[in-house]
Amino acid sequence: MKKNTEKIIQVKNLVKFYGDKTIIDEINFHIRANEFLTILGPSGCGKTTLLRMIGGFETPDDGDILFEGKSLLNIPANKRPINTVFQKYALFPHLNVYDNVAFGLKIQKKPSAEIASLVQEMLRMVNLQGQEQRDVNSLSGGEQQRVAIARALVNHPQVLLLDEPLGALDLKLRKNMQMELKNLQKKTGITFIYVTHDQEEAMTMSDTIIIMNRGRIQQIGSPVDIYNEPRNAFAADFIGESNILDSIMLKDCLVKLQDVEFPCVDKGFEENEAVLTVIRPEDIDILPPGSGFLDGVIESVTFLGMHYEIVMNCKGINWLIHTTREFFAGDQISIQVDPNNIHIMKKEKDHEII
Amino acid sequence: MDYILNGFVEAFRLIFSFDPEIIQIVLLSLFVSFSSTLYGTLVGVPLGILLGINNFKGKKMVSRFLYTFMSFPPVIIGLFTALFLARSGPFGQYQLMYTSTAMIIAQTILVTPVIMGIVFNHASTSGYEVVQAGKTLGAQGWNILILLVLELKGVIMIALVTGFGRAISEVGAVMIVGGNIRGFTRVMTTFIAMNNNMGQYSVSIAMGLILMTISFLTNSVLYHFIIGDQNEYRD
Repeated sequence: MKKNTEKIIQVKNLVKFYGDKTIIDEINFHIRANEFLTILGPSGCGKTTLLRMIGGFETPDDGDILFEGKSLLNIPANKRPINTVFQKYALFPHLNVYDNVAFGLKIQKKPSAEIASLVQEMLRMVNLQGQEQRDVNSLSGGEQQRVAIARALVNHPQVLLLDEPLGALDLKLRKNMQMELKNLQKKTGITFIYVTHDQEEAMTMSDTIIIMNRGRIQQIGSPVDIYNEPRNAFAADFIGESNILDSIMLKDCLVKLQDVEFPCVDKGFEENEAVLTVIRPEDIDILPPGSGFLDGVIESVTFLGMHYEIVMNCKGINWLIHTTREFFAGDQISIQVDPNNIHIMKKEKDHEII
Repeated sequence: MDYILNGFVEAFRLIFSFDPEIIQIVLLSLFVSFSSTLYGTLVGVPLGILLGINNFKGKKMVSRFLYTFMSFPPVIIGLFTALFLARSGPFGQYQLMYTSTAMIIAQTILVTPVIMGIVFNHASTSGYEVVQAGKTLGAQGWNILILLVLELKGVIMIALVTGFGRAISEVGAVMIVGGNIRGFTRVMTTFIAMNNNMGQYSVSIAMGLILMTISFLTNSVLYHFIIGDQNEYRD
């Protein structure tokens, strides 16, 4: 197992066009050995194209992809120390479970006894022992995905690419598979690069998340860092829910929001600079009317199991609030936010807010 | 109505009398159609796979032409083949006109786009995924081709039977290039057409029954080995 400080893959100034459209716009990042990295972004942001370039199924128009310091660009997909698990599984229906998993080993012309032992070990790992002879068409979606993962892992690739592999599964199965994937990654020590548009999936499994939009990286960081310190409005909105509000930075540590001055902890902005203020719904405290920073009227209350989601209207602007206390539509309330929970960010033209 | 009933009675008598002429016609039909299907498969399958899994400029145009040729009228194909094979045509020196070879050529031209089109269509949709999955697991070259043929074997069989069905049931092309010469180029469809024109319905019905039986048997074999497998109930 490689040390997890080693950069196993480096992506340098990567560019990809489809016709006139820029799909990947000068992307730079690296992946460390044994890392579970997730590329997260909305549909069409370029995440799958990026994965396909790492896998060798697309050629970049510019830039380089290095594997342990050496360029991968002239190495075909079948020669890269990288395996891919596709969204649609792409199992071979003419082969049973055993032969699907053994496919890569047979290509490598491994002795049959070794193949049998490796396949059995892998099937045990994905909880499919005893299913060797089953037709892959008769398996459930979750079982098919396990076969696809076993088939890729049995070759012991140094990097495993996973292109939204849980997208076709139902919610409960998806959650189970998320945990299984994370455990598998820990057990095998293989570097996982996972592509998804599901922020919860990314938060659950990843060591590092790359948030992408319009072919550019918006933020790279651990799930906790990205959640607590989103770098821009897009990242804030894409990871979790946020109130993103136009505001004025009066001076260091003081922002004016809806004509009310809020103390905050951010510094380094120009005086009276137009900025965006991001506040997470769960960071808002509800107080009796007149006792907080802003007063408003509750427009709607939705019970979500663990908490209530409240929409409060204040001078025509809706605030999203999460609380475990029960309120009712029409209630007058006041809100307050701890300065540490107010995140100020520069207004950037090309950061589309969803 | 009597002549229809009598036609059937006479038809069964003809079939079970094992008339040498009928047998010769049936065998020639099978030979011509199997040969053209075989040549069509040898050309259409690899080309269909190759065009299907590769993305290139003009692929849409190629598929449009292919689908048009899939439904091209046999009589037009017969006409063009005849123009090329006729004595005054570019291949006139080979004296192929009114031979079973000419019929095989015409039917090969007829069935190749059918086989190619079906294989192309499936290779375009699922073939690329198979190639990708194979490549990521380390396969290349022949391994990929074998994998593709195995993955598409059901589709290839369907294409083959569809092509054979088109070949054995067409009358226009073989009539023009074969000439329906008794003992030489007379096949089941030209035999039926001729006897129908002559008012000899019983032999037409007899041959029609044989043609339908062959069609039924071919499709039954296909269903049993391919479609039957896929429709099996699975828990």
